[in-house]
Parts: sequence; C-alpha cells; structure tokens
Amino acid sequence: MQRREFFKKLGSAAAITAVIPMMSFAADAKKQAGPNEFSYEKALDVITGGKGAKASPKVSLKAPAIAENGAVVPITVEVESPMTESDYVKAIHIFATKNSNSRSASVHLTPANGKAIFAARIKLGSTQDVIALAEMSDGTFLTATQSVKVTIGGCG
Amino acid sequence: MERKSLIKIKPKKYKNGDVVKINFMVMHPMETGLRKDKKTGKIVPAQYINNVKFEYNGKVITTINVWESLSANPVFTIYMKIDGPGELKVTFTENTGEVNETSTKIKPKG
Amino acid sequence: MKTGIKIALSLALLSSLSFGGEQFAMSDSDRAMYAEMLENNPADIMVANGEQLLGNLGGEAAFAKYLGVSEDKLPEYIAGFPRYIEKFKMVVGIDQVLQAMMHDAGEKPFKLKSSDMFDMLAYTKSLANGVKSNIDIDANQHMKDAYALGQKTFDTKRGGRGLSCLSCHAPAVIGSVLRTQPLPDLSSKGVAVAATWPAYRMTKSSLRTLQRRFQGCMKNALLKVIPIGSPEMVALEVYLTKQAEGTEIAIPGLKR
Ligand code: HEC
Repeated sequence: MQRREFFKKLGSAAAITAVIPMMSFAADAKKQAGPNEFSYEKALDVITGGKGAKASPKVSLKAPAIAENGAVVPITVEVESPMTESDYVKAIHIFATKNSNSRSASVHLTPANGKAIFAARIKLGSTQDVIALAEMSDGTFLTATQSVKVTIGGCG
Repeated sequence: MERKSLIKIKPKKYKNGDVVKINFMVMHPMETGLRKDKKTGKIVPAQYINNVKFEYNGKVITTINVWESLSANPVFTIYMKIDGPGELKVTFTENTGEVNETSTKIKPKG
Repeated sequence: MKTGIKIALSLALLSSLSFGGEQFAMSDSDRAMYAEMLENNPADIMVANGEQLLGNLGGEAAFAKYLGVSEDKLPEYIAGFPRYIEKFKMVVGIDQVLQAMMHDAGEKPFKLKSSDMFDMLAYTKSLANGVKSNIDIDANQHMKDAYALGQKTFDTKRGGRGLSCLSCHAPAVIGSVLRTQPLPDLSSKGVAVAATWPAYRMTKSSLRTLQRRFQGCMKNALLKVIPIGSPEMVALEVYLTKQAEGTEIAIPGLKR
C-alpha cells in the first residue's frame, strides 16, 4: 500500500470509530438522592462501639471547598502522631456524609507507616460534608470535617 | 481480568530510616452499581476494589477497606518507613472476589 | 459583574454564562490541591502502557531511526510536532507517525481514536517533557498553510448556534464562566494548553489527546465533529501549538 493511500484510508476510518463511553456523573447524582444505605451516624456508632468521637485539631482534613467536579475530589488526611508501638494511629476512616453509602475508605495503619497520612480521590454526588475519623491506639476517636461544594457543568 | 497498576515511591532515592511516600494507582472503573449505560440503558453492575493490602517484606503494614465511592482509576497514598532492602507488594481485591497483585523493589541507598 | 463582553454570543449561550467573582469561583488553595494531584496523575499508568506499546515497536530508538533523527535530538524534535514530514508529504501529528511506523513494521496500526494510540502518543510526547515547545510554522509552505487552515478552522463560525472556537476561547471572554467552568483563552500567544495534552480528564476517567479534546468542544457547541487526524484537526493542533511556543512540555496533564 502506498503511504498516501494509507493515510487517506486512516482518515475515513477515524471517523467511524465508536464514541468512547462517557461517565455521566450528573445522572448518578440524581439517582443517589435516596435514603442512605449506610449513614454516617450508623457507621460512626459501629466503628466507635457507641463511644462517639470528638472534633480535634490533631486531625487535619484537606479537601477543596469547591470541587471542580464531583467525580474526582482530592482528599488528604494527616493525623498528628509519633507512630510508635505505644502511640500510633490505628485507622483513618473517610466518610462522605450524603453519598448513598457514606463509607469511602478505612485505612488500617501500623507504626511501620512512620506517618499517619492518607490521600485518595473520592466521588461526591452532591454538596456535602466529608469527615475523617481517626482511631487512636489509646482507644479514642478524633474527627475533622470539611464541607465540599460540588459544581457540575462545563463543556466536553 | 488483569488490571494495570503502578507503585510510585517519593522521593526516588531514600535510605534506611527514611519515611517515604507510597503512591499506588490502578486502572479500574470503580462502578457504583448506580450508573446506567448510555447506549443500552441498563444499569452497569457494581464492580469496585474493596480491599488494598500493602506488604513490606512479608509484613502487612497497611490494609485499606474501600467502598464504591472512590474515584475511577483510584490513587492511594500512604507513607512507609524504610527498614532494609526487599519488596513492597500490593494486593487488591474486588467486590467480585477477583484478586490482583503488583510489587516493586525497595532499594535503600546508604 | 463584568460588562461589555466584546464578542457576539448567541442568546442561548449567553443565558448560560455568568461573569467574574461569581459564587462558584475556586480559591487559590483549592487550585493548589488540584495542582498537587499532578504528582499522582492516574494517567501515569496509561503513559506506562504507552511505553510498553512503543517498546514493542523497538522503543524510542526505533522511533528516532524511523524519523531519521539521532536519539539525543529526539526530545527537541518531538517538541516541534505537528510537522511536515517529507516521506508522508503532509503535516502530521506524532500519532500518525506511530501509525505509519506500525504499518511499515507489518503490524496493524492502532486507530487514531483508540486508547492504545492515546497511550502511545502520550508516552512519546512525554519524551519531550521539560523541553520548550518549538513548532516552526515558517519551516515550509506546508506548515504555513497548516497554520492558516488551523486559524481559519478556529475562527470560522458554524453549527446550529453559529459558534466558532474563538467565540468561547478569545481573550475577551476571560473571566466569564460557562455552566460553572471558566472559559480558557486559547487564541493568545503564550497559552500553554497544547503543551499539557495528552491529559487525564477527571470527568471522563480517561486519558485524552488534544484532538480528542477539540472533538469534545465541537460536540458540546453543536459543531459537526471533525475526525482525528484529518487536515483540519492537525491544523487546529498546529495553531494551538504555535500559541504554546516556548512553554515547557508537561505530559500527562490533568484536567477537570
Ligand atoms: C460554547 C463554548 C465553547 C466553544 C464553542 C468551544 N469551546 Fe473549547 N472549551 C469550552 C470550555 C467551557 C472549556 C473548559 C471546560 C472544562 O474545563 O471542562 C473548553 C476547553 C477547551 C480546551 C481545553 C483547554 C485546557 O485548559 O486544556 C481546548 C483545547 C478547547 N476547548 C478547544 C476548542 C476548540 C478547538 C474549539 C472549536 C472547535 C472549541 N474549543 C470550542 C467552551 C467552548
């Protein structure tokens, strides 16, 4: 095949390739409006054994106040701790309070982590609070909350 | 199905005793089970990673329970204290029971 | 409220626009969080896949040889795409060179719109990371023509709403917002956009190329979608790459 012909063929072939399926997060958001399957309150009760948790400056939760899009919301949690055998963060739990399942991730740490930091990206169906719950080795539970406004829209 | 995944360590050069950043990312749609396929109109079944386990030279250092609300192509960042050469293995499980793993060499300098 | 928007926008569009200082404007610290995400770009996996795919063809050494450039000059050379390539007698993007290379190696070339091609293109362009974009639109008549065609394609109003790319992407619209998204200026010198594609699109959960991004805008603005690799598409890429001249290539980008 001549190269030129080859390119001509490619040009026409390109036009008929299937459209890549798009993620329709806006549509998801509407459907997720139902009652929580796993509410934050219920989850908190289970995890803390009914003890509950208190807000603490030792837990820092970074999330954008306004999310560019609900499909990818970056969050970073850092808990102040020496991360030694006798004093460490056992777990960091992340909640999206208005998602149909409020639980996003539970990170079980060990002193071998050296630092109690966890970062990930979560989906938020609507504007809501994101909560980080830290489970300390002394049995206490500490939280931090950040409200995230979700905007949907734009082009392409 | 084999999933493409990647472990990145920051900084690239480290020594024993350093606490380094571990980024683990995997190509995965993280289907919630709530989304409709645009073409067929059918609900796409839930398919998501529900557990990620980090093992450093055979010792579990972190496990993460994951639910469907993590973003597609998820990225997990944790930290790890370097304690000798060896291997960091990440095993990830899906709600369907499927298991995949990936690993990287740990090579402290000095 | 910003007044005196200089361009004529159709009423339908205007009604969905709002202006500066509006409620959804992101703060600098929010932007910093998104910028930080570049370090952990999910597209790194796709780029790694592209590396493997190019590796199957002999890697960058084979690519350099195919183009007749030395391997140490390759990054500079890549930073000058799209280029007029004598053996093809046309202005082409990196993806088209990769296709021809596959073809000549006796393999079935990936479609320009396939994700494997997007991955391989991203990896190949990333070889020029840190190099300043150096497209030369005066290199020959073909490049001059491509630039002119690109500008014309960018400026020409078409489609049901009578919009051109320029309608939404001119300096005059900076600060205005379409359905919560700030409209980026693409028509001024120094706009680095072309140097940041291929990029991961968070709302699409996939790696997309510049030409694929153009198609997204065409679809949304009700302009007939032009196929990837067609002369108009390559010309649009030439036009936007010229605006990015002198800015450092940083692949993969990360976009909303
Ligand atoms: C109706 C308005 C509109 C028209 C017409 C339009 N665009 Fe866009 N374009 C947008 C918006 C809004 C964004 C940013 C949206 C976002 O962040 O999702 C954008 C983003 C882009 C980007 C990505 C910019 C970046 O930051 O990387 C490119 C490239 C682009 N457009 C090219 C074009 C081209 C080429 C055309 C003509 C074929 C075009 N656009 C027509 C509204 C438009």
